[in-house]
Amino acid sequence: MKRLFGVFVNGLIVENPLFVIMIGLCSSMAVTTTVANGIGMGVALTFVLVMSELIISLFRNLIPESIRMPIFLIVIAAFTTIMDLEMKAYFPVLSKSMGVFIPLVVVNCIIMGRVEAFSSKQPVADSILDGLGMGIGYAWVLIALSVVRELLGNGTLLGFQIMPSSFTPMIFFILPPGGFLVFSLWMAASNDLRRKLLAGRKPEPTQDSCCTLPDNGSAEKA
Amino acid sequence: MKRWQMIKLGLILAVYTIVGCVGLALVYNSTSKTIAQRQEADLQAGLREVFPKATGFTLRVGKGTVKSPNPKIIFGAAYTANGPSGPLGIAVKVAGSSYGGTTTLLVGVSTDKTITGVKILENKDTPGLGGNAASPTYYVDKATKMTFPGQFAGKKLTDGFVVKKDVIAITSATITSRSITNLVQVVGKAVSDTLDLGGSPQAPPSQGRSPVLPSADSVRIASKAATSNVPGVSILETLVGTKAGAIVGAAAKAKANSYDGDVTVLVGVSTDGTILGVQIVEITDSQGSPILAPGFARQFAGKKAGAPLEVGTNIDAVSGATFSSTAATQLVKATAEALVKALAGGGL
Repeated sequence: MKRLFGVFVNGLIVENPLFVIMIGLCSSMAVTTTVANGIGMGVALTFVLVMSELIISLFRNLIPESIRMPIFLIVIAAFTTIMDLEMKAYFPVLSKSMGVFIPLVVVNCIIMGRVEAFSSKQPVADSILDGLGMGIGYAWVLIALSVVRELLGNGTLLGFQIMPSSFTPMIFFILPPGGFLVFSLWMAASNDLRRKLLAGRKPEPTQDSCCTLPDNGSAEKA
Repeated sequence: MKRWQMIKLGLILAVYTIVGCVGLALVYNSTSKTIAQRQEADLQAGLREVFPKATGFTLRVGKGTVKSPNPKIIFGAAYTANGPSGPLGIAVKVAGSSYGGTTTLLVGVSTDKTITGVKILENKDTPGLGGNAASPTYYVDKATKMTFPGQFAGKKLTDGFVVKKDVIAITSATITSRSITNLVQVVGKAVSDTLDLGGSPQAPPSQGRSPVLPSADSVRIASKAATSNVPGVSILETLVGTKAGAIVGAAAKAKANSYDGDVTVLVGVSTDGTILGVQIVEITDSQGSPILAPGFARQFAGKKAGAPLEVGTNIDAVSGATFSSTAATQLVKATAEALVKALAGGGL
């Protein structure tokens, strides 16, 4: 139980896909101009990630090594399309405002990375929790980025005017450079917290071990 | 051995692909109707938005459509906006390229050559920048709460359409602002040319004989429109057939949603409630075109409007287009019943 919990929290800070593994950055920069988009993208990616990890973990012994990549891609693409259709049918406004980034979840490196590094080798329960942890790790960063960017760049939060009318929106924060700045500040804060969490526990995992994850979660068990 | 290994891998990949496709097909089937309904509702809401004063909209067909002067700008359906006292103007759906892909707009132009409204149906530009064009809370003029498309309402076609001169641009999205402005102007010009050519926004009255009312020697537009109480059925036009001055029957053009498009039929009913003739005017289902064959429509002639018209019972579906056949049959039945009611009510 403790091991499974460890797998889940792992993705939040210690191995946050955006701040520590540093994959899937493009979509995080592009959609975080409004909080609604950040939440939508976070939920969408979490759904695709959990479902793909579940299916691939279930079939991990039936996937030949030499053609695993195309099979991963078929599974990921199928779930992305399912989510795209469901969003178009039931959340048309959100689907419209996120435009092309929903279909592009297919090529989000986080999904390919986790499927390849984790769920193709780990049991189903671990894989679901890893997907959930990584998905929430991705989503909270998106929300954190978009809160700052929407508030300073547009003066609103979730579309509601927050800043007084005398406030002139700083367009810089909506533009890519502002996105990078906000991203780096949040990353500094998050990685500082990560260092404190890991201090006095175990030697900090090297970059290699965090991405291949041979005995992931066992750190918690020890 | 190596070859067998390769074939085996190919087969395994094929199995995964097939399972994925079946899953997608199931989801597509369960969502496609909702998506189509949403798009239709969006379109209706959009039409009302660009023509707030209109009481109804009629799809323009045949010569009434508005032609695009530029092959890169695609004009979709055009609608006549009807007011309480005659047509108010024309609304056109238009698609053209913008910064992040195709942008689709609905543009309303009144008969006095003024833009009545612009609605953005689809925009794929960067969220927070060009994407603000479609945002209802992004104001180009905060004082008056005017949105980017909102600023076109009331603009005369004789005005210049120059971004940053008489059109306020979206901040940091000049390309989006320019392409939308250009689309609005192109539609405005095309509609104005259509109006100049004498293409009055009123649908031409169907005079003379009608193929669905063979017993009538003259056909005129009814002074009272037939209405159907079946949900989703809209009667576009009601006609009355007379012979030597006496009413012998009535006909109506009606439209309803079908599988993934919609179907329009023309139905003629005699005064004793017999269906005299049916024409399938238009079907926009992706697989629906087989029902345009005259054999399908001919099955209805001679049947009573009150009879249980049903695919599989007394109407044969066109193979390969069962959904469209069913939708068309239900629409014919609803229209025929509405006509019988209208004939009984009198005042046509």
